[in-house]
Amino acid sequence: MKLKLSLAARRSLEGFGFIMPWLIGFFVFMAFPLAYSLYMSFTEVQVTATSINFTYVGWANYVHAFLGDNVFPIELMAFIQESLISVPIIVIFSLLVGLLINEDVWGRSIFRAIFFLPVIFSTSQVITTLFDLGAGGGSFIQRFNVFNMLINALPESLNSPVSVVLSRFTLVLWSSGVQILLILAALKTISNTVYEAAAIDGAGRWEAFWKITLPALRPFIVLTTVYTIVELSVSPFNRMLTVINNNMFSVRTGMGYAAALGWIYFALILVALVVVYTVGMRKVYRY
Amino acid sequence: MNTRPGVSKSADALWQWLRPKWLWLRSILMGRGMRSGLVAKAIVLILLIDVALIYVHPILYMLSTMMMSTLDLVDPTIRWIPTELYWDNLVKAFEGLEYWRGLGQTVFVALIATAAQTLSCAVAGYGFARYNFPGKNLLFMLVFLTFIVPPQTIVIPLYLLYREFGWLNTYFPLIVPEMLGLGLKGSLFIIIYRQFFLGQPQSLEEAARLDGANSLTIFARIMLPLAKPAVLVVSLFSFVWHWNDYYLPSMFISHQDKWSLVRRLQGLQQTLDEIYDVNPYGLSTMTEPVRMAGAFLVIAPILILYFIAQRWFTESIERTGLVE
Repeated sequence: MKLKLSLAARRSLEGFGFIMPWLIGFFVFMAFPLAYSLYMSFTEVQVTATSINFTYVGWANYVHAFLGDNVFPIELMAFIQESLISVPIIVIFSLLVGLLINEDVWGRSIFRAIFFLPVIFSTSQVITTLFDLGAGGGSFIQRFNVFNMLINALPESLNSPVSVVLSRFTLVLWSSGVQILLILAALKTISNTVYEAAAIDGAGRWEAFWKITLPALRPFIVLTTVYTIVELSVSPFNRMLTVINNNMFSVRTGMGYAAALGWIYFALILVALVVVYTVGMRKVYRY
Repeated sequence: MNTRPGVSKSADALWQWLRPKWLWLRSILMGRGMRSGLVAKAIVLILLIDVALIYVHPILYMLSTMMMSTLDLVDPTIRWIPTELYWDNLVKAFEGLEYWRGLGQTVFVALIATAAQTLSCAVAGYGFARYNFPGKNLLFMLVFLTFIVPPQTIVIPLYLLYREFGWLNTYFPLIVPEMLGLGLKGSLFIIIYRQFFLGQPQSLEEAARLDGANSLTIFARIMLPLAKPAVLVVSLFSFVWHWNDYYLPSMFISHQDKWSLVRRLQGLQQTLDEIYDVNPYGLSTMTEPVRMAGAFLVIAPILILYFIAQRWFTESIERTGLVE
């Protein structure tokens, strides 16, 4: 008994050994910077040639962000509105594409190769270059000017975020590379025998999709949504990133204020993720 | 023989003859049960082609524009195919990027960072998957936390930290975190490895342990070689993402001669902007082919790699159990 216990203790020590490098890295490159930036967000930072001075200012930075700043709240609202439109587009689009490539169609491997291209491009500055120069067109949407029709049909308040998202519609679709992969891998987890059984019971493809595929995919759709939110929040096209960067090196506001903005931004994303996760993963009682 | 009233015998016979053929044709066209018919297949194919165009279009546009001379560009009758292959844009971009130097640096950093991350994340993922120790769940929560922290939130302290270490304008900030299983999307890779190792049978390790192997040997000689699909997926993702990585490197490396290709592309654009913005009539279309050529040069190596590795890549993703 005693030997067994010490063996278990040794195992857990070994396990700890495997985690150790990561844990050290976590403290140095993540926990410490996080704590430091939290501290900075409550101070005013003055950088001189030789030293950095912190003056404690309490919640002033946070208060200023919402009440004093005339850029941040507007940009934040625009970011939220755009995300609320882009995230569903990306998730639904990757779901559709995943389902389509999973079909047994002619030229499947060619399509796969093409649909994974975003995995390469989406994190890249190259794609921004292409789109800045107007290479984005070519889909039927642009050709038939669906944009203007849609925008005109919408109420005033939704106009601007929708038109921003639509003007970058193809760009939005370009950020769905990994998501398509996730959906495709998820579809592989559904056993074929389930479909066969359903076919014997007389279900068509339509019923099978709603009753089998979609419920089985639900956790993965939540996962895809989470991934999409994380990706969007760190993407190079992100307007919040620009705002924070501008404040960082601005003489007027400085690093303390930028840190506060970073934390507001992080808190917001965290809340969004928690909401998506709890809503998406809650138990659904069927029957 | 049951004849329907009002229908002549010959019409009925015709119907009898036609019916199975009609049913057969219908099942081919519309599908039956779970099998999809030709019509459904055609619709899927058309949809796929249209979506594929969204992705292929910018790349074709890039390829065609970079080959155009100024004359071709302003000629409205020329849309896709330039009158002649005009290599000057590529040459200009090549020089503007200092291509060989940039390529060397990008490959160097991306290769080291990828190797480091592929190994270090495997070690951590293995620990999380196969061992029990106090606080494991909490620590794994921290892995998730690391995944969702926006880099903007921690970039200032990191900058100060690296300045303290004397790491600014070196490649250490891009490599050392990777060695410890952090860095660019490190947590995602740990999660992928953990999922993979969780799916392996426990008996493998037990057998090796009975044969007297210690934990490190088991990991290095048995589990890591088993994890080939995961290694392939992680290393490819890691390489591509490091190749494209822009934000953090641009914060920590300001010396131009140490810039990666992506950063150089940005620099090239700024230079072009400066040259042509001075002139109020300087149309941006004039510089467009050079920019396109630059973009092509930056992405070409990775595109080539992708088309070579694509087959294994998609297979591996299915075998990693990326999402289970």
